[in-house]
Amino acid sequence: MALLLDVLTTAAMLFIVTAGLMMIFGVMKIVNFAHGALLTMGGYVSYVVTHLKLDPWLSWPLAFVCGMVAGLIIEYLVVRPLYKRPLDAILATWGLGIIIGQLIVIAFGREVQFTDTPLDGMWTLAGTGYSAYRLLLIPVAVVLCGVLTALLNGTRFGVNTRAVIMNEKLASGLGINAGRIRFITFSLGAGLGTLAGTLVSPLSSVDPNMGVGWLVSAFMLVMVSGHSMVSLMATCLVFGAAQVLVSIYFSPVLGGLTIAVLAALTLRIRPKGFAHD
Amino acid sequence: MTDATVAARAAPRKPVSVAGLAALGGLGVALVVVGPYVFDTYLLNILIKAFFFAIAAITVDVLWGYTGYLTFGQSAFFGVGAYAAGLIFTHYGFSPATVAAAVGAAIACTGLLAALVGWLSFYRGASPFFATVISLVVPIVLSQLLLSGGEWTGSSSGLTGYETFDWSLEAWFWVSGGALLAVGTVAWLAMRSDGGRVLTAIRDNESRCEYLGIRVSRVKIMLLIAMGIVAGLAGFGYGAFSGVVAPELSGFVLGTELIIWVALGGRGTLWGPLIGAVLINVASAYLSGSMPFAWQLILGSAFVAVIVLLPQGLIPLLLRPFGFGRRTATAPALTERALPPVDTADTSPALVMQDVTRRFGSLHVLQGISFSARAGELVGLIGPNGAGKTTLMRCMSDGADRTSGTVALCGNDIGRLSPQACVRFGLGRKFQNANVFESLTVGESLRIAGTLLERPSLWRRSQVLALPAYALDVVRTTGLDYKLDAVARDLSHGEQQALELAMVLALAPRIVLLDEPTAGLSKHERTQIGEILSALAHRYGLCCLLVEHDLDFVEQIATRIVVLHQGKLVMEGSFQDVVNSELVRNIYAGTAQPVPDAHDGVQSDAAFQQSNTSTVPKEDSPRSTISKEPT
Amino acid sequence: MNPLFSSFRLSALAAASLLAVSVQAAEPIKIGVPVGLSGANSVVAPAVVQSSQLAVDEINAAGGILGRQVQLEIADDGSGAVGAQKAFDTLVFQKKVDAVIGMETSAARSAALPIVARGKTPYIYTSFYEGRSCSKWMYVNGWVPEQQVAPVVDYFTKEKKAKTFFLIGSDYSFGRGMLSFTKKYIEQTGGKVVGEEYLPMDGSDWTAIVSKIRSANPDALISSTAGGAPNVSLAKQLQGAGLKQPYGNLAIDEGTAKTMGAVATGMYLSASYLTSIDTPENKRFIEAMTKKFGNDLKTPNELSEPQYEAFFLYKAAVEKAGTTESEKVIAALAEVSFKGPRGVVQMNKSRHAALAMQLGEVQADGSIKILQTFPSVDPGPQCPNIK
Repeated sequence: MALLLDVLTTAAMLFIVTAGLMMIFGVMKIVNFAHGALLTMGGYVSYVVTHLKLDPWLSWPLAFVCGMVAGLIIEYLVVRPLYKRPLDAILATWGLGIIIGQLIVIAFGREVQFTDTPLDGMWTLAGTGYSAYRLLLIPVAVVLCGVLTALLNGTRFGVNTRAVIMNEKLASGLGINAGRIRFITFSLGAGLGTLAGTLVSPLSSVDPNMGVGWLVSAFMLVMVSGHSMVSLMATCLVFGAAQVLVSIYFSPVLGGLTIAVLAALTLRIRPKGFAHD
Repeated sequence: MTDATVAARAAPRKPVSVAGLAALGGLGVALVVVGPYVFDTYLLNILIKAFFFAIAAITVDVLWGYTGYLTFGQSAFFGVGAYAAGLIFTHYGFSPATVAAAVGAAIACTGLLAALVGWLSFYRGASPFFATVISLVVPIVLSQLLLSGGEWTGSSSGLTGYETFDWSLEAWFWVSGGALLAVGTVAWLAMRSDGGRVLTAIRDNESRCEYLGIRVSRVKIMLLIAMGIVAGLAGFGYGAFSGVVAPELSGFVLGTELIIWVALGGRGTLWGPLIGAVLINVASAYLSGSMPFAWQLILGSAFVAVIVLLPQGLIPLLLRPFGFGRRTATAPALTERALPPVDTADTSPALVMQDVTRRFGSLHVLQGISFSARAGELVGLIGPNGAGKTTLMRCMSDGADRTSGTVALCGNDIGRLSPQACVRFGLGRKFQNANVFESLTVGESLRIAGTLLERPSLWRRSQVLALPAYALDVVRTTGLDYKLDAVARDLSHGEQQALELAMVLALAPRIVLLDEPTAGLSKHERTQIGEILSALAHRYGLCCLLVEHDLDFVEQIATRIVVLHQGKLVMEGSFQDVVNSELVRNIYAGTAQPVPDAHDGVQSDAAFQQSNTSTVPKEDSPRSTISKEPT
Repeated sequence: MNPLFSSFRLSALAAASLLAVSVQAAEPIKIGVPVGLSGANSVVAPAVVQSSQLAVDEINAAGGILGRQVQLEIADDGSGAVGAQKAFDTLVFQKKVDAVIGMETSAARSAALPIVARGKTPYIYTSFYEGRSCSKWMYVNGWVPEQQVAPVVDYFTKEKKAKTFFLIGSDYSFGRGMLSFTKKYIEQTGGKVVGEEYLPMDGSDWTAIVSKIRSANPDALISSTAGGAPNVSLAKQLQGAGLKQPYGNLAIDEGTAKTMGAVATGMYLSASYLTSIDTPENKRFIEAMTKKFGNDLKTPNELSEPQYEAFFLYKAAVEKAGTTESEKVIAALAEVSFKGPRGVVQMNKSRHAALAMQLGEVQADGSIKILQTFPSVDPGPQCPNIK
C-alpha cells in the first residue's frame, strides 16, 4: 500500500512540476529552460511566507501571481525575438534561469532554507500511515489536470490555443491573435511553474539550485508525452512508477536516472512519444 | 559585364583575416612560451585549468558552431577522461604502464561513449531537438553513475590525492598551453579545409547533403567520436594536473558552461571560444571571490543578450575593427572532370518501377505505378495538382518512402535504402524550391556536390574545381562562373535554381529527377534551362525525369510524356498524343471519372473513352484548359 | 532578522574588521577560513563564520598574535571537492594566508590536503569526521568515530534494548566511514545491522529509503549524513512517514536541531560541545557571542565551537614557536593546549584530541538534555605514521 502511495504521490509531483512546461511547449514548441528557475522562485515564495509568519496556504496564490508576472516579462523580452530559432530559445531561457537564480541568491543568500508545511501530520489509508501533505498532492494534481483540460477543450481561449498549436498561419489568417495567445499561454505556464515550486518545497528544502534537478526530468516527460494534459498525466504515472520501483529495488541514485533514460529510449524507438496522431 | 569588372571579379580578394589570425596565433604562442616567467603561481594554476577547459570548448564549437548540433554533453567526455586518470592512478598507482593504460582507457571509453551517443542521436529522421535532448541526458546519467559508484569512484567526494605526474607548474603550463594551441590549429585547418565545409553544409541543409550521397549520420558520428576523444584527453590532462576528480567535472552544469563560453566567444569561429573560455575562466577565478553574485549575474545577462541580439558572439564584435570575422572568399579555377565513357551498348532501362504504391493510412496517393525510362530519354511527368507527382519522385529517390512495389535504379533494387544509397546508384534529384547551402559560396557548394566523386581534403583548400562537362555547361551558361565566390544566400532566385541544378549534375548522375525546374524563372532563364536539359539527355545520354506544369516547356524538350492522375499512370505517349487526347483534357478540366483499378496502370485513350460518356465540347482545346492551371 | 540584509551584514562586518586591522602598523597575520557558504553545509556555515569572527575579535582586542593583528579571509568551498580546490587555491596561493582553520565536509578536506601540502600551510581541521585522515600539515580538534559512536550505540543496546539497527548515510567518505565503523561496533556488541542505505551528498529525496526502513522494521535507526540540509530533509521525511524508532543522529549539531523544531524532538546525539555544558568558560563564550551578534546569533554548536578554540590553539602555537613559520608552528601545535567551553583541548593524540563526550536527547523546546558524560575519550591511533 505504501508503495502504491509512493508511486501515486511521485506521479502527482511530476505532473504538477511538468504541467507548466507542457503548456508552453505544446503551444509554442519552445522549451522554457527558465522553468527550473521559476520553480526555485516558487520555493522562495514559500520561504518568504514562512519567514513573515503568514498562513502557508497563502503561498499558493502568491506564487501563481509572481510566476505570471515573471512569465509576462520573460516572454516579451526574451522569447518573442526567438520564435524562429527554437534551439537558441532553449539557450536564452537557460541563461535567464541563471539570472533569476543569481537574483534569488542576492536577495536571500546561498544557504539552504526550509519552509513550513501547510498541512502537518499523517493520514491513515488502509492501515498505512502516510504523510498528509504528500497525499494532498494527489488531488491537487488531478484537479489541475481537470482544470487545464477544461480550459483547453472547453473555453474559447482553449479552442483558439489549440488552433494555434495545430496551424498558426491558418489561425492567424482566421483572425486569431496568435501573438496574444502565445503571450497568455507563456504567462500561464510560468505561473504554473512557480506554483509547482511552492507545492514541492515543504517536502524537502529550498536553495537557489533546487529547480535544476526537476528541469531535466520535466523536459524529458514533456518530450515523451503527447499534447494533452491527460496524456501527460499518464506519462507521469508510468515514468513515476518506474522511478519509484528502481529507487526501491535498485538504488535511489539510479532511480533519479530512470526518467531521463527511459524517455530517451522511448523517443528513439518512437519519435512521437505517446502522442497518438 | 565589362572586361574590367570581369577581371576584378576573377582576382581573389585580399586575405585580410589570415594576417589577423596569424598575429593572434603568434600572440598566443608568445604567451605560452613566456607565461611562466611573467605570471605568478596562482595565475599559472588558473590558466592551466582554463587551457584544458578551452580545449573542450573548441570541441563544442566544432559540433555546435560548425555542424549545428547543440550539445550539452561534451562535459561527459571531459569527465570520463578525468576519471580515467583519477581511477587508474588511485587504484593502480602511478607508473609508465598505468599512464599508458589511463590514456588508452580515456580514448577507448570516450570513443565508445561517443559512438553510442551518436548512434542514439543521429539516426535517419532524427530531429535536432532529440539530439540535444540526448546530449543533455548523457552527462546527467554519467554523473549519477559516478555518484553511485561508492568507494570505487569516491561518490560525492570524488577521488583525491592520487599520485600523478611530478612536473613543475611551468612544465604543466607549457604542456597544456601547447596542447591548446595544437588543438586550435588543427581544428582551424580542418574547418577551413574543403572537408570542413561539409560540416557547414550539413548544418545548413542536411537533406540536400543526403541527396548528394553524403552519409550524414556517419559523418556526424565520426565527428562526435573525434570530438569526444579530444575532450576526453583534455579531461585526462585536467585530472592528472589537479589531483582531484569529482562528479562536477562530468555534470551538466559544466556542459552548459561550455556552451556559454562558446556563445559569448563567438560560435563558428574557433578562436572566439578559445579566447572566451580562457578569459572567462580567469575572470571567474578572480571575481567570484570578491563579487560572486555580480559576476554570475553579468555572465548570465551577457549570455542572454548574446543569444537574443548578437548570435555571432562578443569577441568577434570586439575584434571586427582589426579585420576579423571576414571570411576569405576564393574563387577556384574551373576545369572539366573526365567521366568514364557511357556504355552506349547497354540499353537496359536506367529506371524501372514495378507496381509501386504509396499509402498514408487509408489514403492512396500512388497506386500500382509501373513504368521504365532509359538513358537518353527526357520524360515529362504531368498531371494536375494532387496527382502524386512529387510523391512519385520521393518514392524513386528514397527506399523507405513507398509502401510496396519495387524500384530499380541502373539495375540496382533500392529496397528500403536511404537517399544516400539511391544517389550512389546514380540518382540525382533537384528539388522544387532552391535547395542550396545558404552560407557556402557557389564554388564550395559545387565542390561538396562532387563529394562522391572526389573526397574533399581534410586539411587543404583546393584551388581547382573539377566538374563534369554538363555541369560546367550549366555554370557557364547561367553566368555562375563569375560568381564562384558569392555566398549562395546572396544569389537571385534564378541563380539559386541554377546552382542547385549544377550541384546535382556535379554528382555525375545517370538519372536526374527534376521537380518543376522552371518554377519562378524568367522567360530567358527558362530557355537556358531548356537547352541545358535537352543537351543532358540527347548529348550526354542521361535519363531525365521532369515534373512540370509549363507545357510549352515540356513540348520543346521532352521525348516522352507520362500522365499521372489520382495516383495512377493513365497515359504514356508523345507530346502530341497526350495533348490531343480526350482523357487528358477531361482530367485537367476536372470532369474525368475516377479511373478503375487497372493492373498495369496505363490505359489507352480509346479504352477510356468507351467507359466514359463525357460531353466535353471538342473546341475547348485541352491545352488552353491546362494552361489555366496555376504555374 | 530580514534575510535580505544578512549577506550584506556579513560583508559589512568583514569590511569593518579589515578596516580596523589595516589601521595597525605591523603586517597582519592572515588566517584563511574555507567554509561551505553554499551547498550541503550552508545551513551550518553562518555559525562557523560567527565563532571565527568572535575569536579574531577577542585575540585582536588582547593585542593580537606576537603583536600582530589577525585578519580573516573567508572563502566558499561549495561543501565539495571542486569548490574546495578553488577556495584553497585562492587562500593559499592568491591571498597567501599564514594558516587555514576550517570546518568542512570530508569531500572538501580531501581535495584541500594536496594544496595545503604544496603551499606548506598549517591547517587545523575543526569538524568532526570519519577519522584516519592524515597529513604532515594538518591537525584535528573535532571528534572521530572512536569517540562518538559508542555512547549512542551502547545507550540503544542497553537502555532501549535494541537488537536490530538500520543505518542511513550520505554517500561520501564521511557517511561511509562513520557507518562502517558503526556497523563493526554494533556487531561487536552483539547487535545486527538489517539495512544500510546511502544517498548522494546533495540528495534530498529519501522516499525509497524510508520505504525500505518501513519494511525492514528495525529496533533503532542511526544516520550519518552530511551536516546541514540532508539532516533536515531526512528527519522531516522520517517523521512524515511516522517512523517511531529511537533515532540516533551521528552528524547532527545543536544549531540544526534547533532550526528543525518539532521534527528533531526525541533525537539522540553524541557531542563534544553542547550549549548546556555547565562551565564558566562556556558561559563566558555564550555571553560574548550573544553580545556580539544579538538577534543574529546562530546557536553555537559542535561544528562552530571547535572553530573558535582552534584560533586560540594557533595563537598559542605561534607564541610558543615565536614565529609564523610553518614547520615550527606545526611542531608547536602538538604541545599547546587551550581551556575552552569544552574543557582542556590539546591536539596531542596522533594529531587528534582527547575529548569529553556528552550523550544528549533533543527536547521539545530545542534544548539538549545531557543523559551521560564520558570524560577524556581517546581518539585512538588515527595517524600512526605521522610524528
